[in-house]
Amino acid sequence: MSSDRVQLFATCLGDLIVPEAVADADLLLREAGFDVVFPRRQVCCGQPAFNAGHRKAARRVARTFARAFSRHAPVVLPSGSCATMVSHYLPELLGTEPYDVWELSAFLAAREIDLPRRNEGRTVAYHDSCHMLRELRIHDQPRRLLEQTGATIAMLPRPDLCCGFGGTFSVRQPEVSVAMADDKLAGVPAVGAEVLVTADPGCLMHLRGRSTRTGGPAVVHLATALARGLDG
Amino acid sequence: MSGLAQSRDRFREVARRKLDDERVQEAIEVSVARLRSHRLEAWGELENVEPLRQRAHEIRMRAVRDIDRYLEEFTRALEARGGHVKVCVTAEEATAYVTDVCRRHEAKLVAKSKSMATEEIRLNAALEAAGLRVVETDLGEYILQLGGEHPAHIIAPALEKTTDEIAVLFSDVEGAPIPAEREVLVRSARERLRGVFLEADVGITGANFVVAETGTVVTVTNEGNARLVSSLPKVHIAITGIERLVPTLADLGPLLQLLGRSGTGQRLTSYTHLVTGPRRAGEEDGPDELHVVFLENGRRNLMGTKYEEMLACIRCGACLNVCPVYRKTAGEAYGPVYSGPMGAVLVPLLVGLDRAPSLPHASSLCGACTEACPVKIPLHELLLELRRDLVEQRAARWRERVALSLWSFAWSTVLGYRLSTWGARLGRPLARRLGPGRTWAAGREIPPLARKRFRSWK
Repeated sequence: MSSDRVQLFATCLGDLIVPEAVADADLLLREAGFDVVFPRRQVCCGQPAFNAGHRKAARRVARTFARAFSRHAPVVLPSGSCATMVSHYLPELLGTEPYDVWELSAFLAAREIDLPRRNEGRTVAYHDSCHMLRELRIHDQPRRLLEQTGATIAMLPRPDLCCGFGGTFSVRQPEVSVAMADDKLAGVPAVGAEVLVTADPGCLMHLRGRSTRTGGPAVVHLATALARGLDG
Repeated sequence: MSGLAQSRDRFREVARRKLDDERVQEAIEVSVARLRSHRLEAWGELENVEPLRQRAHEIRMRAVRDIDRYLEEFTRALEARGGHVKVCVTAEEATAYVTDVCRRHEAKLVAKSKSMATEEIRLNAALEAAGLRVVETDLGEYILQLGGEHPAHIIAPALEKTTDEIAVLFSDVEGAPIPAEREVLVRSARERLRGVFLEADVGITGANFVVAETGTVVTVTNEGNARLVSSLPKVHIAITGIERLVPTLADLGPLLQLLGRSGTGQRLTSYTHLVTGPRRAGEEDGPDELHVVFLENGRRNLMGTKYEEMLACIRCGACLNVCPVYRKTAGEAYGPVYSGPMGAVLVPLLVGLDRAPSLPHASSLCGACTEACPVKIPLHELLLELRRDLVEQRAARWRERVALSLWSFAWSTVLGYRLSTWGARLGRPLARRLGPGRTWAAGREIPPLARKRFRSWK
């Protein structure tokens, strides 16, 4: 076992909605010299059911994670909320030992990697996803990495305010959910940013879906912004 | 108890109405932003808020875990001072007791100061049915009462009202039109309410805390109305949930420091009023009779359970003002009394999950409430537990159970995952017309499912 081996977890939304961001995460890790393995049996962490209260269903799906990943190398994933699920809830749900789980930007920042200045002169807004901010306490790392690529971060009025996705909340209370997205999106041009960056495929799917409908700003995954620049 | 229950669809219906009302949207946003920033400022003044929150949590939990003991202690202390204590299991029992006290004193006019517990038991309606006139003396609640409405915001109950609307309500009272100017309106309310304080036969207050050691009832206000209501009328009735006990007078220190700071961002509210017994011989002020009514109304359901921490709530409103959902819906969607994250947790526990099934889901689980709670109640974790119980008690919708169950079987293997997502891609044109896809697509584009997955690139 090599000490710089990492296991990449695409997450279901990553795999289905933003596979390019997963490839970008893979690229970033390889460029930083890590030996990236992609466990073939991975599916999903079970969070959609878990957060809706369906623990049996969540357990059934979460077992795919336990079957696919080993505890001998860090698990890195481009999603703050799945990282929270896997590190905070999954061990208790399955009655297993914890895994060494890292959200991508926290991992890259902890290993002090260098990033090329792909976003020189660009102004971006960063959206803190809730679980990443409040459960994992990851605040500075994604911002620092974006700045390393030359981007200027325009401070949203409330970067910490939930975007309204919230898993099944987005379809249980669709009107409130969309209104929350509108508040978030409206802040982007207001602070002079061209693009909204987020580290969570869930927030991204919701915000991009709304922004496409209303002609709002582009919403880009952090991994893409770091690996290939804001224009992808 | 039924007063707090609500149907599954009500939250969404009310929320929609509030979202469509631009004026309400602006009013809520301004109000919660102000209260939130004041709280953060006030917390920031403390050298370190964390140890204080931890102490407050411990004090509250000490009381909550031993309610019966402290109830007994309180009763002994207050009775020694000549006060009366009544513990009521149901709302009906409580309203009957209060009505009875009013009857015995042949009361005609009741002055009230702000109390969520009395809203919970619909006390005003019960007293009015018994022929009494009841007047709310908190300015915000006075306004709402004139408009025939109920407060659904802990702090700033009339936040959705404009000065123009208030002027119309007050003009009715005055019998002549008065201008929509704040000072004029406040003067009108003050004059009207002064009469009520002086003439009321019975004064009813809530209690922010009750101290077991000394038999003391604590109320905090900014308008001083609780002080007048509890000292001018001949009879004072304080109504509170059984969980608002604290063991000792010294425990008030940390709690009062946090209550004002967390609610309105004040170091202390303008008035902190401690009442220990009725007027004694030789004293000039105070009522002849003091009754403290403790309300159970479902609170015992929480004792000794994983939800026990919810009883530590001090009703400061901090969780409302940080909640991104409350920021859009305001209070009414959550029901008639308790709102925001604390309401979403408390109400289903008081009335039963099947009677408020949408509340545990009226949250994106963002966790801002937990971070803001001065007594460290893990609100979003409790919401998650309630969702779990909804499923286990079979109060969740059956089609949701079936759908997630099918999903989980499909996604329990890679093959099932691939087949199901392959099917979903083929079915995408249909998705915007059916079920959750249709709900999603009403305001958002459905993302195209990637044809080429990362796993197949490698």
